[in-house]
Amino acid sequence: MPLSRRDLLALSGGALAASTLRPSVARAQTPKPPDAGARRGGTLSLRTWDPPHFDPFQTISYKTHIALSFTHSRLLKHKAGPSVVPGTFVIEGDLAESWSQPSETTYVFKLRKGVRWHHKPPVNGRELTADDVVYSVNHFLTVKGNANAYMLKSVEKVEATDKYTVKFTLKEPFVWFLDMLANPLAVAIVAREVVEKYGDLKKHEAVVGTGPWMLDAYRPNVGLSFVRNPGYVLAGLPYIDRVEMTVDEDNASRISAFLAGKYDLGWEFPGTINRTDWVQIKDTLKQKRPNLKTVEYPSAVMSHLSMRTDGKPFNDVRVRQAMSLAIDRKAIIEAVFEGVGVLNPPVPAALREWSIPIDKLGDGARYYRYDPTEAKRLLAAAGYPNGFPATMCFTTYGSTILVDSMQLVQKYLKDVGIDAKLDTKEYGAYISTCFYGKFDSMTYGPQTGFLEPDNFLFGQYYPDELKNQSHINDPVVADMLVRQRRTADVAKRREIIVDIQRHLARQQYYVQMPSGVYIGVWEGALKNYAPSFGYDYGGRLMAAWLER
Amino acid sequence: MLRRYLVRRLLVAVPSLLIATAIVFTLPRLIPGDAVQLMLAETSYAKDIDELRAKLGLDRPFHVQYVEWIGRAARGDLGESLWTRRPVVQELGQRLPVTAELALYATLIALLIAVPVGVLAAARQDSLSDYVVRSLAILGLSVPGFWLATLLIVLPAIWWGWRPVTGFVEFRADPLGHVVQILLPAVILGVASAAALMRLTRGMLLEVLRQDYVRTAWAKGLAERAVVIKHGLRNAVIPVITLLGTQLPQILGGTVVIETIFGLPGVSRFLFDAINQRDYPVIQGVNLLVVSTVVLVNLAVDALYAVLDPRIRY
Repeated sequence: MPLSRRDLLALSGGALAASTLRPSVARAQTPKPPDAGARRGGTLSLRTWDPPHFDPFQTISYKTHIALSFTHSRLLKHKAGPSVVPGTFVIEGDLAESWSQPSETTYVFKLRKGVRWHHKPPVNGRELTADDVVYSVNHFLTVKGNANAYMLKSVEKVEATDKYTVKFTLKEPFVWFLDMLANPLAVAIVAREVVEKYGDLKKHEAVVGTGPWMLDAYRPNVGLSFVRNPGYVLAGLPYIDRVEMTVDEDNASRISAFLAGKYDLGWEFPGTINRTDWVQIKDTLKQKRPNLKTVEYPSAVMSHLSMRTDGKPFNDVRVRQAMSLAIDRKAIIEAVFEGVGVLNPPVPAALREWSIPIDKLGDGARYYRYDPTEAKRLLAAAGYPNGFPATMCFTTYGSTILVDSMQLVQKYLKDVGIDAKLDTKEYGAYISTCFYGKFDSMTYGPQTGFLEPDNFLFGQYYPDELKNQSHINDPVVADMLVRQRRTADVAKRREIIVDIQRHLARQQYYVQMPSGVYIGVWEGALKNYAPSFGYDYGGRLMAAWLER
Repeated sequence: MLRRYLVRRLLVAVPSLLIATAIVFTLPRLIPGDAVQLMLAETSYAKDIDELRAKLGLDRPFHVQYVEWIGRAARGDLGESLWTRRPVVQELGQRLPVTAELALYATLIALLIAVPVGVLAAARQDSLSDYVVRSLAILGLSVPGFWLATLLIVLPAIWWGWRPVTGFVEFRADPLGHVVQILLPAVILGVASAAALMRLTRGMLLEVLRQDYVRTAWAKGLAERAVVIKHGLRNAVIPVITLLGTQLPQILGGTVVIETIFGLPGVSRFLFDAINQRDYPVIQGVNLLVVSTVVLVNLAVDALYAVLDPRIRY
């Protein structure tokens, strides 16, 4: 992820490297000095979700990846803490002490020395070497059932050039490579011995990493306990001795637990409280927990309406534009987000470095207005004066917010003559069909809240990509998508991404819906912490401490 | 005689169990979307789906799978969870004590409330206490357990900043904390059962108290306690015991919501998750356990009749 100018100024001195400086420039992270006033000790209490299993290469489930963010390291990570603005992702070393990019397709990582695996069998605290990284990357790329393998599909080979050096060779330039490595969904570094001993990493006994905490206990349906890793490579870190995570599947229970001070972070992902609940309990919280801290930032989870643009009627741009004009996005914000939300262009507004405001979308901005009259006119011009019948594939994800917004979308489409019959599927059936573009007419649903724009753009708009739900084959877009992947210069890449969004706003291959605004909430006694996106709870808490 | 009866009943239970297992085996497979589809939902690779189905033995004919499962179940092997790859027996072994304890406490609480209150209401028919008790019984029957549970954990948090312990407390780690944690959900489960039992106790006792032999007992000058408890209650209690037997599956069913609200890692929640994940071996294992429990409890109830009423002989 590139650094903004503000970030670069803030980080003057070159202590921290970003991902997208010129090739061949070596990057390094200086050892982090102890935080002023930091205290060791204490137990942090969080709400969590029961992981389906613990194999990070067999699931995209946040339940698993959040748990493993405490125990496993990656080569790179996202910088965390109060100085980081939510929605910006500065890259720093995790296991990598420094890295360089000798050519457009070569990356070389120097590992920290003295990194040790947790003192658990079968590794029992042995030193991590470059071979472990090579094994993990190859396992990530080749193991069956890894839905995240696409993140590193640009990798041609990975090799250990010495005990502490790992060299990646890419098939083609891919400027988001470092962002992929830093993403908590990508390669958690695992030990070959553990995989060989257990066959896979699904059992909790296989949770053996090099991260700041160790899994101390797992109680199915009850919770997880993490204990500080005394041999963690960054001396002094983490500050918090124990992390107790409680599986709490009932909202009333969660509310009462939070009111009673049992949780130190907001109980919803990622450490937030839903606005509907917040509105109800904020006054009580002022009395019961006056030291709570809050920060609001838009969610990167965005729903959209996808459609078969490879056939009638959605292959006509006027039909797609009409559909966008038919949707009253502000009313959706009022109805389902308690009046607080943001409008999304093709890159969600939450990714503030890459998204552009709707009014900067040029000609395409007009299609984000609510104008049913113009929608009907466009439909008539396209040859559908009375609209047309359609189907809308959908699954609830167990979310009332999603169901409410879907019903509004259905109603708005009907108002302009598009009679979308609902095709509700069970979650598994939905994901294996409609989510991957296997539907006849339309699909409505949320998209993963990625941490960089490439996943939102390349994944959803490039021909034949798995998540190209709308079956788009637009040479103009495809060319720009490839170009941005090859443009190392951040400013130039941003220009291309802005151009892509403007083009897509006119084309309306997907009709984007608004997102809610998170309310990140945490206990005031928790210092040096700040909420952000993503599953990296462990990374955000690694340098935090408790004062109570 | 009783032994012969019990053996006969056990033999009769075998076809019931077989029919129940066949239903349990069939129904989850009729829900759209199978376990493999859910497990590989994220990747959606058709080839992998077929491979995994074959690996898990889910590609074989339905009856072959059933016969194999029933054969293994008879030997105490309920298979492995499709998701965690752990033996179902082992998983059940961890969770069964929680649900059993909850159900036991709930039943005891139901009995402790229902019988004395039912007796009081019958003995004081149409008095103020009778009306109060009957009203409370209707309330107990009407109030949904989940609603009561929600109020009981949210209101103390709002008023006093207190709530029951979050997370499950193991008995060996903190015996008192464990009992306190189980008690509140047990009371909630017990209240609904108590209401029905109380009404039946009252009704049956009223009927018995009108019998000639009770009138004779009164005429002999026996104390009220002896008449009501010894002559009345003992003869009125058989239908109550029958109802108690049928309440057990209801209590077990009711624990799904209660276990979720109170974060108890019991069998019911395990079953709920398994249904969502189409984890067939777990669904089959838990249901087999529940069906077997119901059969055994009913058998125990039948045996208890003979103990409570010496006139009943098998």
